[in-house]
Amino acid sequence: MRKVRVRTHGVEYRTVARVISLENLSAQWRPELRFLVRAADAEGITKVAQLRSAGLTNLISLTSSLHVADQWQAEPVVETGGILMDEDVVAFADHMNHAHVLYRYTDQHHTVFLTNRCNSYCLMCSQPPTKQDDSWLVNEAVEVANHIASSPHTLGFSGGEPLLLGEHLRLVLDTFAHQHPSTRYDVLSNGRLLANPIYAEHMLKGLSERVTWMVPLYGHADFLHDFVVQSPGAFEETLAGLLNLRRFGQAVQLRIVLIRPVLENLAALCEFIGRNLPFVREVALMACEPIGFALANPELTDIDLREWSAELSHGIRTLKRAKIPAILMNAPLCALPQILWPYAHKSISDWKRTFAEDCATCRVKTECAGLFSWHHPGKFSMKIQKIEGIINV
Amino acid sequence: MNANFVAGSLLPFGFHRLDDQSVVAVSAAGDHTFLTQQELLALIQTPETLELKKRAELQSKYFLTGNSSIGTLELLRSRIAARKETVLAGQSLHIIVPTLQCEHSCQYCQVSRRLEDVGHSMSPSQIDASCATIFQSQANALTIEFQGGDPLLRFDLIQRAIDLIQKMNLEHKRRIRFVVASTLHQLTSGMCEYFRSNQVYLSTSLDGPALLHNKNRPIPSRDSHARTLAGIELARSIMGPQAVAALMTTTKASLAYPEAIVDEYVKNGFTEIFMRPLSLYGFARRNIKHLGYTLPEFTNFYQKALQRVLEWNARGTELREGTAALIFNKLLSPFDAGYVDLQSPTGSGLAVLVYNYDGYVYPSDEARMLAETGDGSLRLGSIGDSLAQLMASPVMRQLIETSISTQAVGCETCAFNSFCGPDPVGAQAEFGDMRTVALLTEHCKRHKWLFEYFFRKLRTADDDFLDIAYRWAHPAGYSNA
Ligand code: SF4
Ligand code: SF4
Repeated sequence: MRKVRVRTHGVEYRTVARVISLENLSAQWRPELRFLVRAADAEGITKVAQLRSAGLTNLISLTSSLHVADQWQAEPVVETGGILMDEDVVAFADHMNHAHVLYRYTDQHHTVFLTNRCNSYCLMCSQPPTKQDDSWLVNEAVEVANHIASSPHTLGFSGGEPLLLGEHLRLVLDTFAHQHPSTRYDVLSNGRLLANPIYAEHMLKGLSERVTWMVPLYGHADFLHDFVVQSPGAFEETLAGLLNLRRFGQAVQLRIVLIRPVLENLAALCEFIGRNLPFVREVALMACEPIGFALANPELTDIDLREWSAELSHGIRTLKRAKIPAILMNAPLCALPQILWPYAHKSISDWKRTFAEDCATCRVKTECAGLFSWHHPGKFSMKIQKIEGIINV
Repeated sequence: MNANFVAGSLLPFGFHRLDDQSVVAVSAAGDHTFLTQQELLALIQTPETLELKKRAELQSKYFLTGNSSIGTLELLRSRIAARKETVLAGQSLHIIVPTLQCEHSCQYCQVSRRLEDVGHSMSPSQIDASCATIFQSQANALTIEFQGGDPLLRFDLIQRAIDLIQKMNLEHKRRIRFVVASTLHQLTSGMCEYFRSNQVYLSTSLDGPALLHNKNRPIPSRDSHARTLAGIELARSIMGPQAVAALMTTTKASLAYPEAIVDEYVKNGFTEIFMRPLSLYGFARRNIKHLGYTLPEFTNFYQKALQRVLEWNARGTELREGTAALIFNKLLSPFDAGYVDLQSPTGSGLAVLVYNYDGYVYPSDEARMLAETGDGSLRLGSIGDSLAQLMASPVMRQLIETSISTQAVGCETCAFNSFCGPDPVGAQAEFGDMRTVALLTEHCKRHKWLFEYFFRKLRTADDDFLDIAYRWAHPAGYSNA
């Protein structure tokens, strides 16, 4: 999530608002929303203050000038960096010192974070789960749905495990589907709780057809998968969950994170998918950048993808035989054999994406997914090697 | 990895010995694995001693369960259900035989009557009654196939049926495909125009090069081959390059020309060939000395032909062999391609119905041919009977009872019983009794050979062969249900 430095006064609780210019305010104003109204100068701030006292209490002015702001006690939000854009949906509060940009229309990828809690404990989790109550995130997600002005093409929900939210997840999904009917939604979930047919029915019956469930699968036998997710019984629950997803006509993308114990059995896993789960829309094979738990398990996660070309090719060929579309995510081109380049997606979110020094002179940089921004050359990092010479991509 | 996670128990499976040291084992889901003798024993007696990779494979293929099995058992049920789709989803293939007339006098043909031989055709009202029964089937996708004789000799009846079905389908909204099986000698451009606007495909017989084809399919002018090719060309020019599929029948004379037959298909632009053995009963039985051949003679021929097909593929010419494709579908795909001969319970009557020119409804093409030899015992009823009546007939009940592969004597322990089952119609034709033990039948011997042959091929397959096997295994593009 993008963080933007701001100064606020008198915003006691975390507040969600839409950034807007004064000119557009009358067209977009609605009583149930909150607006961060750009005020370039003292005149603008006065205007916003007047509107407020006329009853539009859901306005807060936003200025880029400390000087202007200082003439007014409290009130305006100050952002001097010029990073916030009109229609950004932001969250801010006095105790934060910054604003979270929860949604920006021009981003390639949009994600709404729903919970930090999880019922699995994956070896390579990039965002190790916590136990504390974070149910406020659900309310904020609903607020985000309401505050988005221009519907995105696609929007993802992530966690933690969103299914732990139960009916609140359904509320979030329904709100988004209602407010943004043209958007496609991705839900990142391990699917385990959907094993319960009653729960599955409540969650899935009548759900928008524009939802895709992105479910990880790390092995073709319980002891392989359960080891990776460090949760006995998870494999069977995920399988039953997948069957319930099919029963309710939901689209599924299976996700396979490429760590050592998974790569060692990749072709067999792909064969299992082809025979047993042919209803999935596609399989995403995802390179793993060691952060989070992965750092604690380097012997399993710190791999050089370039040494696993044979396994990767074999896995993808197996999926192709079963006519299941495959994509490769988070994998820089130089870590893949050239025959797999057509499967590679530029999948890293804009704000997380970076390139190494070497990449500057690489011939395929424009086609490359790049690296995670926390990449730094060293032991625990994606191994790259720039491509020289003439290449037809 | 923590091996304590494993505490599996054995699920039912069958195995077939390939040699002293190895077997192919097949699980209830129809997944297979090759096991050494040692592994086979370990699987049965001490699965916990199996190497972890093998254990994972055996769990993932339904030989062993893991700790709990809520998901696995659910999956297994759905896999088995998918295999039964063809016989449980309603009759999808409806064969209408409007006439028995034909200009050929093929030596091995059981049925045809000379052109001038009138009175071997359906009445218009029988056509209408057949169409009504077709729509009583629950199947979502229907194939209506016209056979003969040569049905094009009664184009008027074909047209009547198609027009009526199209009209009825405005209300029923099924996915419908029409196939006309014909020599194509009588094909006219007018017919092609009509076929094009009604989603009709043509199916013809092409036995191989001219000499062989003309020998197999004599007509007074001795130009059957040339006239069929002319028909194919005419159809393609109007209906598109995929308008015609061709089938070949292997006669004794064919056995010497496996390569030439395959090449003939490539030469004529076909992307599919179906190497079919002759059914050695019916009229052909009388000529068995003259026309017949043994299973080894056929399999020898078949292997050479398949080899030639693979050579063409390796050279970049796409050509799919139908028999291999249907076996691969059984062995490698989770979706049943709907081939009616390999079903349990039998596809006869459950997946296919034949509305015959003689006014009766039969459970399969073989069954109506059998009637031509005087054995009408497989009639389900008369045209005009409702589907429910046909299904309630004693013959239908017996067809089902004798064809459950997990119960029938011999089949119940057969490793291939997920892919196959007894063929009561064939048994009736061969032995005059549909309850004949499957193991004795031609059907069983041939298919056992095919399963074993293709398992051996898969065991030693390289990646290119596997690519082809999986491509063929997929139901899409499979046109001869
Ligand atoms: S060197 Fe950089 S730009 Fe080139 S392929 Fe590797 S990661 Fe991508
Ligand atoms: S008919 Fe023969 S091959 Fe088929 S299942 Fe029965 S015993 Fe096996």
